[in-house]
Amino acid sequence: MKLVATRLAQMILVVIAVTLLAFGAMNFLGDPLFNIVGPIASVDPSELTDADRATLDEASEIYRLDEPFVVRYGLWLTDMATGDFGTSFENQVQVSTTLKNKLPVTIKLMVYAQALAVLVSIPWALWTASRAYRLVDKASTVASFAMLGVPVFALAVILFWLFAVRWDIFPTRFDDSSVWAQVTSMFLPAVSLAIPLIATYQRLLRTDLISTLQEDFIAVAQAKGLPKWQILFRHALRPSLFSMLTVFGIQVGALIGGSLVVERYFGLPGIGAEVVEAIIRDDFPTVLAVIVVVTVIFVVVNFLVDLLYGFLDPRVKLDG
Amino acid sequence: MDSSVEETTLAEDSNPEAPSIVKQLGFGFWFSVGFISIVVLLAILAPVLPLNKPTSIGVGTQFETPRPGLWFGADSNGRDVFSLTIWGSRISLLVGFIAIVIGFAVGGPLGILAGYFRGTFDKVISFSFITLLSFPALILAILITTLLGQTVLWVSVSLGILAVAPVGRLARAQTLVFAERDFVTAARILGAKDSRIIIKELLPNVIIPMSALALLGMGIAIVAEGTLAFLGISVAGGESWGKQIAAAGTSRVLRDAPHVALFPIGVLFFTVLCLNYAGDRIREVFDAKELAL
Repeated sequence: MKLVATRLAQMILVVIAVTLLAFGAMNFLGDPLFNIVGPIASVDPSELTDADRATLDEASEIYRLDEPFVVRYGLWLTDMATGDFGTSFENQVQVSTTLKNKLPVTIKLMVYAQALAVLVSIPWALWTASRAYRLVDKASTVASFAMLGVPVFALAVILFWLFAVRWDIFPTRFDDSSVWAQVTSMFLPAVSLAIPLIATYQRLLRTDLISTLQEDFIAVAQAKGLPKWQILFRHALRPSLFSMLTVFGIQVGALIGGSLVVERYFGLPGIGAEVVEAIIRDDFPTVLAVIVVVTVIFVVVNFLVDLLYGFLDPRVKLDG
Repeated sequence: MDSSVEETTLAEDSNPEAPSIVKQLGFGFWFSVGFISIVVLLAILAPVLPLNKPTSIGVGTQFETPRPGLWFGADSNGRDVFSLTIWGSRISLLVGFIAIVIGFAVGGPLGILAGYFRGTFDKVISFSFITLLSFPALILAILITTLLGQTVLWVSVSLGILAVAPVGRLARAQTLVFAERDFVTAARILGAKDSRIIIKELLPNVIIPMSALALLGMGIAIVAEGTLAFLGISVAGGESWGKQIAAAGTSRVLRDAPHVALFPIGVLFFTVLCLNYAGDRIREVFDAKELAL
C-alpha cells in the first residue's frame, strides 16, 4: 500500500506541475486583461473614457488581476478543486456547464475507439502470432506498419470521403437523437482514432504472443491435445497482455490529441472541438479547465493501468 | 566503443562473412531514403523548378482531373495541385526539421547529463519529462502557437518542446546503459574527466539509437504540423499539406473532386511512412530496444 501511496503522491504532483505550466503560459504569453475586455486594455490609461476605465476596473476586480501571479494561481486551483471552473470570458457561461455538456461526448468517443481497437487487434494478433513468419503474418506486418503511419486527420478525410460522401453508408452529421444514431454517427470518428491504435496493439501483442508460445506450459497444453483456439485464448493471451496494457494507458494521450481533430472535422460537440475554439478566441478559463480535466483523465488512467499491471503479474513491484 | 555495438549485431548473423551495414539495412531502407531525398530536393528546388505558381488561379479548369502537365489535377480555384503539394511540403518539412533539432538540442544534453550524474539533478529532470509527457501534447502545441504567433519559428518551437521529453528519456536510458559498461569504468580509472567521458565515450554510443529517433520524430513532427494546419492553427500564410487537405476535405470538394485531397494525403502518408521505415530499420539493425515503445 505504501507504494500505491507514493504513486498517488507522484500523480498529484504531476497534475499540479501541469496546471502551473498551463496557468503560467496563459498568463505570461498573453495579456489576460486584453482577452477579457478587448482592445481598450492596451489603450494608454490617460486617454480612457470613464466608462472604459470602469469596465477595466470591474474586470480586474472580478478576475483579481491586480493580485500577484502566485495568489491568482492559488485561488484558481482551490476553486478548481471545489468544482468551480470559473466563467468563460467570451459568453459568460459557467465553464463547468460547458464541461458537463461536452465531456460525455469525448469520453464516449474515446471509449468507442479503444473498444474497437481492442476488439480488432486481439483476434488479429492471435491469428498472426499463431502463423508467425508465414505469408499472412508478413503481409499483416506490412499492413499494420502502414496503419501506424497514417495521420488521424488524413484518415478522417479518407473515411469521410469513402463512407459518408461516396457510398453514403454513415451519416455526415452528428446525431444524438437515439443510442443507435449515436453509434452510427460516431462510428467514422471512432474508426479514425482506432486505426493507429489497432496497429500499435497488434504489433505489441503479436511480439509478446510469439514469445509466450515458446514457453513450456504451451507445449504441455499442446501435449494434452487441447484445441488450438483454446490454447491461444485461455493460455497464451493473458500472460501476453502486459505491453499492450501499458501502451493502452499511454495511448489515451494520443486519443485526446486525435479527438481535437476528429471532433472538429466530424462536428462532434465534445471538449476536443471546444478547446480548439476556446484557444482561438483566447478563452482562458475554458482552455485551462479542459487541460486540467484531460490531464487528470490521462494520469488517472495510467495510474489504474499501473495498478492493474501489478495485479495481473505479482512479480511487478510498484516502485516509482 | 562503436565496435561493441557492431559486434553484437554481427554476431547474430549466421554468415561467417557478415554483410556490410549498407546491405543489412536492406532495399526498403535505401528506397525510403531515396524517396525522402527526392521530396526534400523538390521542396528546396521549388522556386527554380518549372512549376505553375501555386497561387495562380485558373491554370486548369475547376476540379480538373489529372492529365499530363497537370499531374495532380486542379483545385476549386483551378490551381495546380501538383505545384501546391510541392510548395506545401516546404513548411511541413522545415517545421519538422527545426522541431527535431530543438528537441535534440535541449532533450539530448539534459538526458545524457541526468543519466550520467544521477542524483537530485536526475530526479528533477526526470520529473520534468514526466510532466511534459502528461501534458496533452496537441493542446500544448496549439496553446504556444496561438499565444506566441503563427510563424515557422514558433510552430517549430512548440513542436520542439513536445520532442524534448521523448528525446531526453531515450538519451537518459542509453546513457544509463553505457555508463555501467567497462570501457567507461576504464576511462574513469585512467583519470578521464567527466566532460571527456561524456563526449568521447558516451556520446558516440548514444548517437546511433538517437538517429533512429530523429527519423521517427521527424515523421511525428510533420504529422503534428499537418494536424495544426488542418485545424487552422499552423503557420499563417503560404501553403502546407495540412491546409491543402483541410480545404479539400469538405463534403462538396470530396464529392466532386476527391483527387484534390487524395494527392497531398498520399504524398504526406508516403513521406511519413518512409521516415518511419528508415528509422525502424536503423533501430532494428543497431538493436536499440529502448525505442520499441
